[in-house]
Amino acid sequence: MTSQENKIGQIYILPRAIRTVARAVALQSYGVINLAPRNFLEAVNRLVCKDSDYGIKVATSAEGLVLELSLIIEYGLRIKSVSDSVAESVKFNVEKTMGIPVQRVDVHVRGLRISNAD
Amino acid sequence: MSVKTNVLPSEAQRHELVKSPLNGEGLYLLFNAGLTWLMTNQQHVNSLNVFPVPDGDTGTNMVLTMQAAVNEAEHAQTKNVGDMGRAFAQGALMGARGNSGVILSQIWRGFSRALDSSETMDPPLFLKALQEARNTAYKGVVRPVEGTILTVIKDVTAAAEETVTKDTNLSDMLVLIVEAADESVQRTPELLPILKQTGVVDSGGKGLFYIFEGMLRLIQKLPLDVSNAVIKPLDQVKLVHAMDSVEEGQDYEVVIDFEPNGSFSLESYYDDLGKIGTSIQVGEGDGIYRMHIHTALDRRYEPISYTESIGTVKKIMMENLQEQVNGKKSEGEKFKLNPINPGEIAVVAVSPGKGLSSIFASLGVAAIVEGGQTMNPSVKDLVSAFENLPTDKVIILPNNKNIFLAAQNAVKVTTKKIVIIPTRNTPQGFAAMLRLMPEGTLQENEEAMNESIQEVHTGEITTAIRSVEIDGVQVKKGEVIVLFDGKLVVSARSIEDAATQLMEKVQMDDFERITIFYGADMTQARVNQLVDGIRKQYPDHEVEVHEGGQPHYQLIIAFE
Repeated sequence: MTSQENKIGQIYILPRAIRTVARAVALQSYGVINLAPRNFLEAVNRLVCKDSDYGIKVATSAEGLVLELSLIIEYGLRIKSVSDSVAESVKFNVEKTMGIPVQRVDVHVRGLRISNAD
Repeated sequence: MSVKTNVLPSEAQRHELVKSPLNGEGLYLLFNAGLTWLMTNQQHVNSLNVFPVPDGDTGTNMVLTMQAAVNEAEHAQTKNVGDMGRAFAQGALMGARGNSGVILSQIWRGFSRALDSSETMDPPLFLKALQEARNTAYKGVVRPVEGTILTVIKDVTAAAEETVTKDTNLSDMLVLIVEAADESVQRTPELLPILKQTGVVDSGGKGLFYIFEGMLRLIQKLPLDVSNAVIKPLDQVKLVHAMDSVEEGQDYEVVIDFEPNGSFSLESYYDDLGKIGTSIQVGEGDGIYRMHIHTALDRRYEPISYTESIGTVKKIMMENLQEQVNGKKSEGEKFKLNPINPGEIAVVAVSPGKGLSSIFASLGVAAIVEGGQTMNPSVKDLVSAFENLPTDKVIILPNNKNIFLAAQNAVKVTTKKIVIIPTRNTPQGFAAMLRLMPEGTLQENEEAMNESIQEVHTGEITTAIRSVEIDGVQVKKGEVIVLFDGKLVVSARSIEDAATQLMEKVQMDDFERITIFYGADMTQARVNQLVDGIRKQYPDHEVEVHEGGQPHYQLIIAFE
């Protein structure tokens, strides 16, 4: 949990809120098809729970948030360029909307979706 | 950075090309024309970024992607349009840079899939290829953002679907595509609020428009290496041009001042000159025109006789560019770089201005690469700076976050041991240099330098290139803005005002020393006046001034 203080009280931002932003940004990013469950628990959770937010881990360090995304990317794209773009736009948007610095964004490419094999 | 020059096809080849159906060679010429025209307008595309500081690179990314694709296609040497398309798409995939480059590569991938193994391409197949390009491009994203390059390819395809029939010819089809692309690009601000807020159109979409327009211009026999005829103020057409490299076969620079006869058409003047040479510029002031052109050795008198036919020539200047470039290279390195003993640690610094370079040199760097905010050095520039040094221990100071990537890529292509110190600006670079221990280990140096860059804070003062609101600060075009440690903190009317406001925002008590580096577009008198004011205001601080010579940033101020 991250907290900031303003004039009349504390603001607490829970990891889930950060995950929601990161998820929306990641899915808007070109080349990202979906997020992928990071472990068995998330996979089960995904089946059972309607709005489960699998595929993103949020941790905090002294210098800011550390995000880990696990993604399914479209086959036939340059993975490096796609990953660079996702990491950059997630960092930019989380920092902008949450007002918390993001120290790192790690991208795990869990799989590729083949919609056209050529 | 050297730019590959694309040889334009001869008249006969162009004529051959217009003949539909198109074969592999024709398709290659079209792609090449798209790339050339995009390169000509690269800076315009770059300028359509949505932040107030000039750091856009969409145009550059698209050019690099197209260049990789055209290179691959060039090697394919096939008359089969399907094979040519495949080679092109493969090259685009491998060379895709940035978001717009990735989408572009996906567009060409779909395009080439539709061509399959066809011998030739006629307009109906061209339409099918566009449809496949659109479908493939949209498959790459779950929640497409409209008002981008995706919207442009969609609108172009829709327009083609409506009108293309068996009887349409290629030239008409391209006219239609370019019109649809243009309209679509103009509509992007309506679809994407950030564009409207910033007052620009989408850069990726505009890039795609230029590619299609380049193809059309090739068929219409319009020049591809001169952007649309614009008259600049006379003093902007420099007599001695800053040159990094000479285009092959264009050895002479000719500059002519002339007074045109009664009926002077700039358009046709540009067109006719385009047949003689490249890099054409025309300026005007008080009825006198100045023309600038690069031509081959044996054609260097043609612009003169041509201009004589349309007006009175007042003055002619001619220069051998090859000589000029050779001369400039030796003149450029006025400052003395630190000689490196074998095995010692060598530092390579990226520097945006002459003054800053000589400070780096005095601090003991082994090599300097020119570059900065909008002129990022290539990986090759960086590697060639340290590859010949007699040591395998190298430290790179990028001095700008836009150069981090190139620096990281430089590490991958060399066998030397490289450490990158993430310096985001020149003062951090200087702070790091002060900690250099040439005989220490790389690790010791890295630790010391990383520590030192935390200790210096940097204010940068520059002029906004467009109106925008960022971080809650309202900025109008032409206003002066202040960045502190990379964040926009305040906007102001004048540079003096900006400097005063910056000092007020910064906790001056935390610092002892202020060092000011003034940029290329500041005069010394103005800086002196400014500094006197600061000294009066903060008598307890030590204030130092250096000529930095950097472009874009009028002042860079280090707080220690």
